[in-house]
Amino acid sequence: MVNRYNALRNLALMALLLSGAALSAQTATGTINATLVNKSGIALVFDTDAGGVALGASGTSAASANFGTVSAFGPLSAGVTRPSVGPVTFTVQTIFDVNVIEGGLTSANYTLTANLAAAAPTGISYKIDAVSLTTAAQTIQTNGAYNADTAHNLGLVVSMSAPGAGGPAVGSPISATINFTATAN
Amino acid sequence: MRVNGSIGRSKLVLVLCCVLYTIAGQCQTSTGQLTISMTVQSSINLIFQNNPSVGTNGFCPLTNSGTNNVGLDLGTASFTGGDSLACVGYIHLSGTTFQVSSAFDVVVTKANTSSPNYRLAAEISTAPPANVVWLVNGITLTNTAFTALDASDNYATAITKTLQVQVRNTVAAQTLLETVTFLATAN
Repeated sequence: MVNRYNALRNLALMALLLSGAALSAQTATGTINATLVNKSGIALVFDTDAGGVALGASGTSAASANFGTVSAFGPLSAGVTRPSVGPVTFTVQTIFDVNVIEGGLTSANYTLTANLAAAAPTGISYKIDAVSLTTAAQTIQTNGAYNADTAHNLGLVVSMSAPGAGGPAVGSPISATINFTATAN
Repeated sequence: MRVNGSIGRSKLVLVLCCVLYTIAGQCQTSTGQLTISMTVQSSINLIFQNNPSVGTNGFCPLTNSGTNNVGLDLGTASFTGGDSLACVGYIHLSGTTFQVSSAFDVVVTKANTSSPNYRLAAEISTAPPANVVWLVNGITLTNTAFTALDASDNYATAITKTLQVQVRNTVAAQTLLETVTFLATAN
């Protein structure tokens, strides 16, 4: 009877040992199948030019340029020049930079177009370089270099006529938005 | 059925082309918005310029003509010897006083204003020596306040003004120098 008990106990112990040995050797593995789609793209940002007015939100695609108070004969803000005066209009001008950043493209350069978001205020017209802007897209540059600041002149041609006689409103802020589009060539 | 199948394949090819075109880097665009702001202010501008008769007696040439900062040389004058420059007008006003003079034009331009005309005044920079008088068109100038010359001059029109210096014969020999400031004010 005792021998039988001992035999059963030994069997139980062996089973326990074998069970422990089996547990310590367990492993688990997994794999991750990763994929990345590297898309090409371009991004347009405006940068302040050293010779021009300091842009608001410089370095972004939604910047602002404040010319301050302009007049045919009075003082101008820093970064604003007056290349021509009279007899019918005067022009004030500043310089700003456009930087089109590209990635994953084989495109060599880009075409830049611009248009006014809305009709120009009375007595004022807007120019980028030598191009007079309208609400329809106009080509500004056909071979812009990527990843570099490209300077452009922003000119405001202001009628010298009095308000109500073809001239702009005087003494109150006037604003306009210019939309730019860069297209990879 | 055959026709439909052809159209279906054409669409597939077109879509693939467009996808490949995009992947290859074409058709890529990016936009930005630049907002411009400014405030227009009305202004007027005054310049001096040579009179069309410049060079003749009474019309000496200005240096830097066409600007708002010019020079006018009236030469060397004396009660007994007249003036050294032929362009200077020289007369004896009396037995004790002589006058030298030269005329030039003032042009005032306006922008972005409905002002119909402007008024003109002038002032000399320093008090002249005793028995020396500076005048414009016969109106004596002082260094204490602007003296009105005209009440309503027209814009963009040359207004001829004559600068006169009257000197009594008791005045010691010296250089007479003044900066004459003209002030145009929109009416």
